[in-house]
Amino acid sequence: MTGSSLRWIDWKLAPKAMLRETAGRFCLLFLLGSFLLSMLLSGGMNRFLSEQWAVTAILRLSVSPAEGQGIAGKAAGLPAVRSAVYKDAEESWKEFLAAYPGLSTLRGAGGNPLSGYVEIRMRPRRFTEADIQAVEAGLRPLPQVERILSGGEVLPRLLRVREWVNAFLWAGFALLCTVSFLVFLLQEKARSSFLAADFNFLRERGVSVRSIIVSRASGSLLTGLLLSLAATGTAAFLLFILETRLPLLGRVIGPAREIPTLPILIPALLFLFASALVSGAASSLGWRAAQSRPE
Amino acid sequence: MIEAFRVGAVSRNGTLWDGLDLAVGDGEVCVVTGPPASGKTLLLRILRGDRRPDAGDVVVGGESLYRGNPGAVRAFQATSGVIPESFPACGGRAIGDLFRISSVAGAGISARERKEREEELLSLLGLHGAQDAGFSSLSVSERARVSLAVELFRGPKVLFADMLLHNAGREWMEMLGGLFRGLAREGKTVLLAERTIPEKWKAMESREGIVKGPFRLFRYTAKGEVP
Repeated sequence: MTGSSLRWIDWKLAPKAMLRETAGRFCLLFLLGSFLLSMLLSGGMNRFLSEQWAVTAILRLSVSPAEGQGIAGKAAGLPAVRSAVYKDAEESWKEFLAAYPGLSTLRGAGGNPLSGYVEIRMRPRRFTEADIQAVEAGLRPLPQVERILSGGEVLPRLLRVREWVNAFLWAGFALLCTVSFLVFLLQEKARSSFLAADFNFLRERGVSVRSIIVSRASGSLLTGLLLSLAATGTAAFLLFILETRLPLLGRVIGPAREIPTLPILIPALLFLFASALVSGAASSLGWRAAQSRPE
Repeated sequence: MIEAFRVGAVSRNGTLWDGLDLAVGDGEVCVVTGPPASGKTLLLRILRGDRRPDAGDVVVGGESLYRGNPGAVRAFQATSGVIPESFPACGGRAIGDLFRISSVAGAGISARERKEREEELLSLLGLHGAQDAGFSSLSVSERARVSLAVELFRGPKVLFADMLLHNAGREWMEMLGGLFRGLAREGKTVLLAERTIPEKWKAMESREGIVKGPFRLFRYTAKGEVP
């Protein structure tokens, strides 16, 4: 009796059932992998909010474009800032007119009443109250800056809502993981019951129960690892494809090119190993559940 | 060599037997006969290491099955085959599936070798080309012969068969006798439990067997002689 022949025993004895179960597991893991990658890339609501929300540093009327550019450059150098763009007074006026078309007469008397400003966007993972305050603190002492608009009282409330939404999304992911584990467990239990006579046959012919459990669990672990690798890889590939066709997806979820970076890769690898462990544990627990089933 | 020393067994209705001594050597066919409910199946299970006797011990190749290393029991069971009196329904399994599971128990049998031996054994036992037939659709005789083929497939050193001759039917007695003598010639041991010994087999035995508790023991060697 070799370990490898026992490892794939379920495939030998019930190939059709195994194929069905594997297809089902792939779909579940694909769903989980897609969810995880989307969450990791977007940070839940973080990316969407950081795209929509900007900290605006309004400059004094006397500030020259060169100074404005310099302030934007300084702001862009802050670690929490993704981008800082200087808009001169003319651009400000155009944007104002686009928003309020009937107010062009305001300029007639004394020229452009608007000053230039710097539009600052935060990194999705740094879109926190502390980081926004740090940006404000970095810009406020500058004599060229007249005012900083960062949302005032609305921002803390918005950030709290974001925390709740993120917690809800992660809870959804955890629920999906639990459901998947239960599905794996039920599949393993049903299969162990179905193959009980065969395992009994082996036991009567000198194959120890321990080696059956350990070998089946290691086979399941290996299958789980390969399946989750294939499912998560497919999910990543689809994100790349979809991003080119649906640019909105890239703005909400984030650019798929960030997938091969450490902040995404490490949790994704942990997910793969966790899936493998869960598959192995489901095999072992399913066997026990099938054995303890009342006759 | 399988040796039972002062083996005793107790059932719900009381002591089945006690102080039973028995020795079955290599290259020997031994038939244990006894009336219904005398404990023949239990004796086979005890001799196989499946059930601890209520008294005494069983020694195989000089090693105790019940008082020694548990690995010794598994090693012995790995080299033996067992044919039960009643056959499990096998949940829609085809005959080929039974050979597949048997090949898992007997490591190192390739798929090609399995196919060849499967065909060879099924033909030998009158079931040529029945690989795809469902086990549950077979008659009792066919099931008995399939079970024998599945066990012979792994080439066990010791074969335990419970009511095999009875289940296989009269027309297979002679053939099975020849087969078991062939196995004995290869140095293998065959232990059969039956209610009665077939008349033709009895003729090969010069005596009426040896009485051991509620059982009667008949021994045959490769040449059909009493050892």
